[in-house]
Amino acid sequence: MTRLLGRVFAALVGLFLVAPVLVTVASSLTTTRYVTFPPQGITLHWYAEVFRKEEFLSSFALSAGVALAAAAVSAVVGLACGLAIHRHRFPGRGALEAVLSGAFAVPTIVLGIGLLQWFAQMGLASSAFTLLLAHLVLTVPYTVRLVLAGLAGLDRSAEKAAAGLGAAPFLVFWHVTLPAVRGPLIGGAFFAFITSFDDLTVALFVVTTDLQTLPVRIFNYMQYDYDPTVTAIGTLMVLFAAVAVVVIERFVGVARLFGADAEQHR
Amino acid sequence: MAAVGRVADGALSRSRWRTGLLLALPAIAIFALLFIAPLFTLVANSFRTQTGAFTLGNYERFLGDPFYRGVLWNTLKVAAMTTIGCLLIGYPFALYLRGRSPRVRNWLALLLLSPLLISMVIRAYGWLVVLGPNGPVASVLKWIGITPPQLLYNDTAVLIGMVHVMLAYMVLPLMGSLDRIDPTLVPAAKGLGAPAWTCFWRITLPLSAPGMLAGAMIVFSLTASSFVTPAILGGPKVKLMPYFVYTQATTTLDWPYAAAIGFVLVVVTTGLLLGYARLLRRGNGDVVFG
Repeated sequence: MTRLLGRVFAALVGLFLVAPVLVTVASSLTTTRYVTFPPQGITLHWYAEVFRKEEFLSSFALSAGVALAAAAVSAVVGLACGLAIHRHRFPGRGALEAVLSGAFAVPTIVLGIGLLQWFAQMGLASSAFTLLLAHLVLTVPYTVRLVLAGLAGLDRSAEKAAAGLGAAPFLVFWHVTLPAVRGPLIGGAFFAFITSFDDLTVALFVVTTDLQTLPVRIFNYMQYDYDPTVTAIGTLMVLFAAVAVVVIERFVGVARLFGADAEQHR
Repeated sequence: MAAVGRVADGALSRSRWRTGLLLALPAIAIFALLFIAPLFTLVANSFRTQTGAFTLGNYERFLGDPFYRGVLWNTLKVAAMTTIGCLLIGYPFALYLRGRSPRVRNWLALLLLSPLLISMVIRAYGWLVVLGPNGPVASVLKWIGITPPQLLYNDTAVLIGMVHVMLAYMVLPLMGSLDRIDPTLVPAAKGLGAPAWTCFWRITLPLSAPGMLAGAMIVFSLTASSFVTPAILGGPKVKLMPYFVYTQATTTLDWPYAAAIGFVLVVVTTGLLLGYARLLRRGNGDVVFG
């Protein structure tokens, strides 16, 4: 009896968790001109509509470009910073670690408005580049943390053995060190990609009317239109995220990203 | 010989010091220029008038105006209600997960984390459809014969949307705490004749308190500072601090006042989050899946 009750409860929680996605995907197929669930009839009209809307396509290109750059830069910066923190003593190391682990505690909206005012003070006009800079603050702490976890699991004697056998430092790095952090690095880069791609809060402060990322475009569109185009975009974005999640799960484990493991980095 | 060795050591450590600094330099630059500097600018601006003179007026205005005090109060209220909601759903769910096989646990954990991995806008939009006038909730109510009430643009809509995202942050630390309870304690108490309810009340619940505390802290502060979900599901009618940071900065264009509201928000939430990080580091967060 308790067992059955437990199952029913877990199923209800599961339904609650997937409800918004399920309903979005289902109602993207409706033939009506408004969003409704259950959908009336089946059509792919709204998907065609997405690809007809120029502004959505250009926003997608902007978002994807910035997210790709954010993923690449945070992987490289994260690797370098992880190696520095794990292996070297240098002035400012403690402060850097404190900032990296404390950055998440500052509300994103506060970071957004801080960047808006700081960029304005510096006379930096908003562009894809400033957007990338803003997103790095969100993504780099994750890649650093994942790289550090990878390095913690690496046996230093393997590197010493390689060096002792005459391998040049670069070769040791390439053949011994890098493979040990490759998983965390790939997982971290993918996570950086979705973080940047999905960000709305910071982007809202950095964008202008003719430079809108996809989330900003959707957010603005939603204020005026209630047609099913958004549900079609939503479905495409869910598919997109699902691919990234499979990759992350394979390389680092999703739970680890959200602090569900103690060996953060020491 | 010894002296030579020491010199070599010194040279080595200096060169390693330099390598370290060089490797960390990009990250240092990013955080100095794009994190520390903006936050300093924000704090400095919050003490300025629109023309640039020093003032405490922005804070006086915030704390003196009953409207904004109400906004602060409502923010804390919604955050507290979300925390309680997460606890009420999350605790039984964590207990359920504890007894499952690693495979089932992994799947359910992924399900639990899935809202965090889907675009915020799309997730909130999904709730807009679920709770909307043509959504499933309204259809079911109509089918039963009840005129569906307005489900959107109020505190309840925000609460539902927030519990949905925040549930994972509550369940993960709870599972960590539950997993750390000595598995022989409950059977021992049962063997001595304690009823199941007493076992739960006197053993499981107190021993999982650290996880509850950690979960409550992070859920409360993340909810108080979140913008997207409340903005979409609550709209202008649900008055929360992050919404006013946004409108003051982009619509009213009163940057110093927006900065002051933002800074009050930081004071309210950051302390709690840093406390959470401390709890995690002390070892209350090592949830292991599978």
